[in-house]
Amino acid sequence: MIRFDHVHKEYPDGTIAVDDFTLEVPSHEVVVLLGSSGCGKTTLMRMVNRMVDPSSGSVSIDGDDVAHSDPVKLRRSIGYVMQSGGLLPHRTVVDNIATVPLLLGATRRSAHARASELLDLVGLEQSVAKRYPSQLSGGQRQRIGVARALASDPNILLMDEPFGAVDPVVRAELQRELLHLQNELAKTILFVTHDVDEAFLLGQQVLVLRTGAEVAQHGSPANILLDPADDFVANFIGGPRRHLRTEMRDGRHIVVDAAGHVTGVLQDDRGAAG
Amino acid sequence: MRFDWVADNMGQILMMSWAHVQVSVLPIFLSLLIAVPIAWWAHRQKSARRVLVPISGVLYALPSLPLFVLLPVVLGTRILDPLNLVVALTLYGVALLVRTAVDAFDSVGRIIRDDALAIGHSPRQVFWRVALPLAGPPLLAGTRVVSASTLSLVSVGALIGVPSLGYFFTNGYQRGFPTEIMVGVIGTVVLAVIFDVIIVVAGRLLLPWVRATDRRRG
Repeated sequence: MIRFDHVHKEYPDGTIAVDDFTLEVPSHEVVVLLGSSGCGKTTLMRMVNRMVDPSSGSVSIDGDDVAHSDPVKLRRSIGYVMQSGGLLPHRTVVDNIATVPLLLGATRRSAHARASELLDLVGLEQSVAKRYPSQLSGGQRQRIGVARALASDPNILLMDEPFGAVDPVVRAELQRELLHLQNELAKTILFVTHDVDEAFLLGQQVLVLRTGAEVAQHGSPANILLDPADDFVANFIGGPRRHLRTEMRDGRHIVVDAAGHVTGVLQDDRGAAG
Repeated sequence: MRFDWVADNMGQILMMSWAHVQVSVLPIFLSLLIAVPIAWWAHRQKSARRVLVPISGVLYALPSLPLFVLLPVVLGTRILDPLNLVVALTLYGVALLVRTAVDAFDSVGRIIRDDALAIGHSPRQVFWRVALPLAGPPLLAGTRVVSASTLSLVSVGALIGVPSLGYFFTNGYQRGFPTEIMVGVIGTVVLAVIFDVIIVVAGRLLLPWVRATDRRRG
């Protein structure tokens, strides 16, 4: 369980990145921080592994204030997946995945054995093991980023727009696989994104954030869709694009948004197009 | 060019080449060993950079001969001690390398070092495992320049009596004997090429990813 308790972050130049933020991320759940760039969501995430220290308030993991922990040990105990992939360009794929076990003092042999298991887990061929990150596709790099974060079997995963840099088809695939992995592994995941669909797909709880990490709304995806707290939230999650109705056309139900654009076809009970 | 002279004096040529190598190796290593931490410091701290980078530039502008004469006074060594030469050459090497090394560390992106820290490297590990290897290619290029510069500067040491291929310049000049001067020049170039090849090969072994990732582009 991760707990943010009245966290405030102000930079020396007077910028307030986070005003007053409180949240409990329950163990084994995926909580998504959703907001546009500059809203402070990444700052919040980086407080968990002490890449940023709050100016006041506290962040605790299972009741222990992270401010009292050694930052290096803390970071090794938390999986972190970043948007750029964050892979070390001068290390091969296996060495990248094995980074944290090696830092923790595992033997090369056991760390590489673990890396090879993880390649399977994230759906990559063993043949990529000896390649360098620049020789891989964006999607492969992100999978390796996920594999690396899982290498030391941490309880907590921090994911900072991990699928933001890949094309929509690969992104959808990676999202599905993350859900699948999460069913098996049940990690405590704090996920940062500006992609509304991604947030609603992955999050059990979603927080829509305004500037200064002010919580505009906190709830389940269905809650937020059914009952947006205000115009900001309604607009952010898509406004009229989310207001769908059906129309009959050529004897079938099509789905149309508020602006009249066709967005899909309704399936009937038998699963075939009606 | 009198090849018979070369053949007759091969023993001395090889001996002087070996002496040349011996005086050169230490300053090249020391330059790297001293310039890298200075550059890391200058890279990390703006105020340090403002002082260190210009100083290293001025250092290289010092004329070599007066420096050789001055160093015994400063170091308290004998005037003919090869240590004077080693210190002088190291100073030049450091002067050449500091700016290159600062640029090399600058070229390693902030994001990548930040990411390395975020996944659990200690600051020391960020240096040894991430920043230093990634700064490797430009550092290697800088070391090649230092190597060539050192090998040619060693010759000047002949003027203060430190044996090297430079002996053939001074001696050939005094005797008005061009073959001997040519031996000095060609010998120095050959040594410089050998050193360069060794550094490049060492670089390939130490920085294996550079070629592996280049091949794909090429």
